[in-house]
Amino acid sequence: MLRPGLLLAIGALGLLGLAACGADNSSGEIAADRPVMESTDRAKQLALACSGCHSSEAGAIASLDGYSVDLMEQSLLAYKSDEDGTTVMHRLARGYSDTDIKLISAYLGQEDAP
Amino acid sequence: MIDVDLDRRRLLQGAALGLGAAALPVSASAQSNARIVIIGGGFGGASAAALLVKLMPSANVTLIDANPVYTACPFSNLVIGTDRPLSAQQFSYDGLRQQGVDILIAKAADVSPETQIVTLEDGSEIVYDRLILSPGIDMRWTALEGYSQEAAETLPHAWKAGPQTLLLRDKLVALEDGEPVLMTVPPAPYRCPPGPYERASMIAHYLKANKPRSKLIVLDAKDQFSKQALFQEAWTEHYPDHLEWRGAIDDGAVSRVDADIGAVYTDFDEIRAPVINVIPPQKAGAIADRAGVTDLTGWCPINPISFESMLQDKIHVIGDATIAAPMPKSAFSANLQAKVCAFAVARLLSDLDPMPTTLSNTCYSYTTPDEAISIAGVYINANGRLESIAESGGVSPLLADKAIRNAEAAQAAHWFDTITHEAFG
Repeated sequence: MLRPGLLLAIGALGLLGLAACGADNSSGEIAADRPVMESTDRAKQLALACSGCHSSEAGAIASLDGYSVDLMEQSLLAYKSDEDGTTVMHRLARGYSDTDIKLISAYLGQEDAP
Repeated sequence: MIDVDLDRRRLLQGAALGLGAAALPVSASAQSNARIVIIGGGFGGASAAALLVKLMPSANVTLIDANPVYTACPFSNLVIGTDRPLSAQQFSYDGLRQQGVDILIAKAADVSPETQIVTLEDGSEIVYDRLILSPGIDMRWTALEGYSQEAAETLPHAWKAGPQTLLLRDKLVALEDGEPVLMTVPPAPYRCPPGPYERASMIAHYLKANKPRSKLIVLDAKDQFSKQALFQEAWTEHYPDHLEWRGAIDDGAVSRVDADIGAVYTDFDEIRAPVINVIPPQKAGAIADRAGVTDLTGWCPINPISFESMLQDKIHVIGDATIAAPMPKSAFSANLQAKVCAFAVARLLSDLDPMPTTLSNTCYSYTTPDEAISIAGVYINANGRLESIAESGGVSPLLADKAIRNAEAAQAAHWFDTITHEAFG
């Protein structure tokens, strides 16, 4: 009969083996950072487009600090649907689906913002 | 603002709880030690380094650049035409160093994709698991007869910011009122599609204010250009006596220059001027050739999801050097491509597939010191290439209120502060 400790060891070896197959890491080790990247979702990657212009510094370009999830989504949808809108944000928002706007808002908006 | 750090803490906690005991032995014993090397510390390379140390805290991220200080191109046209100092364009790598990036001030001389080794000019070697090339552009010195590195000391290109920017500015300052100024513009593709026309605006602004009897003539190899209607609207309003643009159809294409006598030649004309700004044809930065990632065009074909080279494994290329059209060769593009590439590299090193996404671009151009216009685009990378999304993007409105132009000028300045802070810390 296998002891629980051994089972754990076999499980771990299995994981190592899997990683070694497609692995990029020439050492064959599983990257310690893998859990972070594993949970990386679409929202996070979409939102990379925002941080080149928007920081926590307010000014000619809005700071996104303090936007609630709802306000963020409403603002982006308003940019997208305003046919007469001419700003950069109007032109950019038209390229994003409502689903992506929801994802970005949920990621960048602050749960506890007013 | 994207708080990657905060997010990472949350995710790490979640992962530890979620995966439970099975993950424990692995994460307890394994170190990533992934060696990520980045060549080129401009908007692309610096942005990639900054995000990678956040995404992969246990990896070794090394950024190699030949210069200890980076001189940014965006806004350098204001150095030429207004009193903006060159120092406003310059950024050290201290911020990135503090974030945990290994900064190596050295010239990368060669890359061996087979052995995954970068060789520096002093002969030392650096091994990589993933290499990111952000080499920017180099001039195609043989493409324009009479133009060379030596000729550029007399006929500045100023298409890499730094001493060339100051050389062009100083020549304008030395110009006698009434003498002409010439600018030559190459066929596409080149760094910053609207850049020549913003520069033309800034030079015309300078002449109008300081050498009112002088005039800039722009000789263009093209008949159409980025934000054309908007630029021409501004030129008609502000510089009717100080700027003349000649497209290819009006004999604008320059086939030869002569630095000794200060002349340029079109099919039918020889034109002389004491100040000639030659923007020559370009290609990917030289190290891209050494790494074998350029094709016959001189630029680098990439997988649009991971920005991995189509020609070499484990080498990624970002920024101006890439073939990424319709995404333009801009600082915004380089910064965003860098971040998307950093994501892909972090996932690949974690044995995960890169994910498709939506990318965007925004370029502002100044037409006067306090008025600007913009172009924006949105792109998807899911179908094997970068594609513009229909009904999105576009340029500022024509015949717009001054307030709109002023607002975009202020936004441009804010953008520059934000993006340089994100890239260089």
